[in-house]
Amino acid sequence: MSVGTPFRIGRLALSGFGWLALLYLAIPLAVIVGASFTTTAYLRFPPVGFTLQWYGQFLKDPSYLRAIWTSASLAISAAGIAVVLGVPAALVLARTRFRGRRTLSALFFSPLILPAIVIGAAVLQYASALGFARTFGAVLIGHTVIVIPYIVRTTLASLAGFDQSLEEAARDLGDSGIGAFFRITLPTIKPGVIAGTLFAVIISWINVELSIFNTTADLMTIPVKLFNYIQYSVDPMIAAVSAGTIYVAILVVVTLDLTVGIDKATSMNR
Amino acid sequence: MRIARGWAIVLLGVPTAFLVAFFVVPFLVVVIASLHAKEGGWTFANYAKELTDLYYWNTLWLTFKLSLWVTFASLAIGYPLAYYVTYVLKRRTVRRLFYVVVVTPLFTSNIVRSFGWMVLLGRRGMINDALMSLGLVERPLPLLFTEASIVIGLSYIMTPFMVLTIASVLQNIDRSLEEAAEDLGAGRFTTFLKVTLPLSLPGIIAGSLIVFTLSVSAYVTPSILSGGKKIVMSILIFQQYTSVFDFNFGATLAVTLLILTILLVGGYLFVMERGPRVVASGA
Repeated sequence: MSVGTPFRIGRLALSGFGWLALLYLAIPLAVIVGASFTTTAYLRFPPVGFTLQWYGQFLKDPSYLRAIWTSASLAISAAGIAVVLGVPAALVLARTRFRGRRTLSALFFSPLILPAIVIGAAVLQYASALGFARTFGAVLIGHTVIVIPYIVRTTLASLAGFDQSLEEAARDLGDSGIGAFFRITLPTIKPGVIAGTLFAVIISWINVELSIFNTTADLMTIPVKLFNYIQYSVDPMIAAVSAGTIYVAILVVVTLDLTVGIDKATSMNR
Repeated sequence: MRIARGWAIVLLGVPTAFLVAFFVVPFLVVVIASLHAKEGGWTFANYAKELTDLYYWNTLWLTFKLSLWVTFASLAIGYPLAYYVTYVLKRRTVRRLFYVVVVTPLFTSNIVRSFGWMVLLGRRGMINDALMSLGLVERPLPLLFTEASIVIGLSYIMTPFMVLTIASVLQNIDRSLEEAAEDLGAGRFTTFLKVTLPLSLPGIIAGSLIVFTLSVSAYVTPSILSGGKKIVMSILIFQQYTSVFDFNFGATLAVTLLILTILLVGGYLFVMERGPRVVASGA
């Protein structure tokens, strides 16, 4: 392999670009985190001084705490229901051959393709017709629908390289079907299910497009609350709330990295 | 594991029923609403109203134009970054750092990310401050609340999707093909152009499809970064549902957006599936 000068220059340019792109991805978030510590009453980056008063202000506001609670319970319930529905569906889709199988898998992925804003409108219209518009149940249904594909996809991906003869061996050796599932299949799909669940939690946690159609002043998720606020004014307190959501994102990314491996988790999700 | 027939029907049937009840049926409700007058009764009047008013055509055009720019921009940033991460970075720790930085924005709400750009692009924002202190401009540039700020904000939001999609394809390219090209005397750059790039085409196609469809329906970023001055389709749809309270016309706009997106995506796939083969046989 020849290592000539043009190659070196090209490689240097690529490295430079790579690190610049990394900076570009980090800066808008860093700006928010930085501005949340400013002592000035208006947004300032770089921050002037250092204070935690804006965090104190939003943590004392019960409406923010309620919104965080609504978002968290939505995200966890939606992800939970999606696991219960999505994992068995993925298992059957991976293991059986029948007519219409492709159509059914397309159905499980289609919430990804349909614009979230259309799903949001659809849930509102549907729930209005049935008389439960703008309730926790309506929002939960919408969130579950949009996160199911993530669970199905990662579970299918973790089953792709799976050797079924292991399970058959376990059963030949006298294990029951359910025993074989818990001893052999579950450990195989575990990374996929964990990655899918974390993706599902976060997709629900950050959703605006669907929630905004279906929330009210009393039923408010944290992204919708942020959105309503930011459209009219921005201040260090709202930067602190936003920074809080960035910390959650980092926490989930690190968890994903430590449990499944971040590169593996993301490639399963393609 | 052989799944017994009865179990398979239950395990797949329940989730399917869920999606039919809460996804397919609500979607059909929207389609049916778009074909109904507000007072009831089947009609094409909503579509006639939409298609004969130039305002809606202009909004559609703006929506697709901005989405196309976003697709190009995120491809231009995303491809080299994905290439760098998969081909050049050797140390696993550094590579993981890159992945963490790529994924963290993806896990942050669009509002927070757009908010970041509001701070950067504002009149007293970091970019104007820097330009002014460098003496490049005398007065702050009107960067925020323009079509450009929407494109910048959306490209930022879409870049991680592009990077991850392309990186997952680059990872699976058989390196021996590239080594063979180099053994046969091709330079690095020629190898990239003739081997790596064509093989990574599926990633480019998939990535641009994801980015384009997400951009067309993006609501939050255009709302925040346009300051209400530029109206895209999703904003119109939302207005119909929440302030005009015309569910039927809102449904019409939503269905139109969906149909046009599907047509454009279909056309793009059609061209891409023919195009590269012609190029490959010509090379």
